[in-house]
Amino acid sequence: MSMRSQVYEWANLAPSGSNSTLRRNTNDIPVSVPANREVDLFIGGYGNNITKPAETTATQFIVIEDIACSPTVNGAVQIRINTTDYFQNPDVTDMLGIPGLASPYPRGASSDYGTTDNNILKAFDLYPDVYVLPGQTFQILYTTRDGCGTSSSTTEVVAAFCKYTLYDGPDALIANKLLELGVTINPNNVDWYKRSLIEQQQASRVAAATAAANGGTA
Amino acid sequence: MRSQVYEWDASNYGSATTYAVASNIGAKISIFVGGVGNNITKPAETSATEFVVIEDIAVTPSDFLQSVYATTSATYRGLTIGPGTGVAGPRAYVQVRINTTDYFLDPDNVPNDGIPGSGSPYPRSVNYQPSFNLYPDVYVLPGQVWDVLVTMYNDTGVSGASNFADGDLRAFVKYTLYDGPDALIANKLLEMGISINPGNVDWYKRSLLQAGA
Repeated sequence: MSMRSQVYEWANLAPSGSNSTLRRNTNDIPVSVPANREVDLFIGGYGNNITKPAETTATQFIVIEDIACSPTVNGAVQIRINTTDYFQNPDVTDMLGIPGLASPYPRGASSDYGTTDNNILKAFDLYPDVYVLPGQTFQILYTTRDGCGTSSSTTEVVAAFCKYTLYDGPDALIANKLLELGVTINPNNVDWYKRSLIEQQQASRVAAATAAANGGTA
Repeated sequence: MRSQVYEWDASNYGSATTYAVASNIGAKISIFVGGVGNNITKPAETSATEFVVIEDIAVTPSDFLQSVYATTSATYRGLTIGPGTGVAGPRAYVQVRINTTDYFLDPDNVPNDGIPGSGSPYPRSVNYQPSFNLYPDVYVLPGQVWDVLVTMYNDTGVSGASNFADGDLRAFVKYTLYDGPDALIANKLLEMGISINPGNVDWYKRSLLQAGA
């Protein structure tokens, strides 16, 4: 299993009295998220988090294929590789990222809480994919312009979603090789590269056998 | 070479036997032999002459609302709203386990709950559409044991007050079973680094026939 499809789902849900949690719990409730603050889905201190920053080891390669967030409270989601934001304004200034209205999670969700007026569908496709090379740190940052829990009577639940493929071990080496060759990294192309290696080995074996049969001359 | 599906319902489709929500919330429930809902007679495993390719998994979706909803009877787009939680539906996840290894991991390499129902909903509808497709597929090699595990966290997001009701929590698995010679070919394709699907198995058979002609 050296090439695996993975997802990460984040929501601003945590047990009462805390802003974040390492494990989802049965008694999670919504926590407030301030407006205009970039919240790291992995270690941002809000909602469900993981134990350490998301990073690739020397033998891992990650291809991020989709990001999405709730199409409410004017939310947006950004990818940061090491210290570089992926999505930029045309004037190369910082932006919040892909709006939830363009890449909604769940797909088909309403843009207004509690109403069933609309089904927001995706207007954005993360293509080409985003590569996280071995040894790099990456963040998925959620920002809401409106904030959650700004009203005293209710707190909105927001969620974000990231789909990526994790290449590990030999497949990560092949992914690096494909990157050098300028070939898109996806499971099909990794398989193609493996096949071409096998074919080369078979061809060289046949050539060696032929040479041996001819007394050392090819 | 046969396309197969398995559907699981936590209430066993409303059977007379009841399954308590409280004792199963937060626990990983095997949809095959977990003792909840409809089960099969033994753990799912491949024999020496079988090869399974899991192509899709899905579970009941959930939706994200506001904490203001506090009545127990409220529903939203067919999902029960958990009072005060801001979540409609069971907040369910589905994981694949091969032997003792969980397939889906967090970025810190710790096994997680799996695919959220909001990302891979079952059933699919206009309101709840998939954000996830299981690609590359998951291979279960000959002799391996595999399982599909469902975890739910929102006990108030199901319509049954104390026991699961029909349709509260469902999961779905689509897989292809390769048996006999086709399983041998599947193994050969795996060695060659070729994706295992019915098209490639047929291609390998054709290439064998051409080589023999």
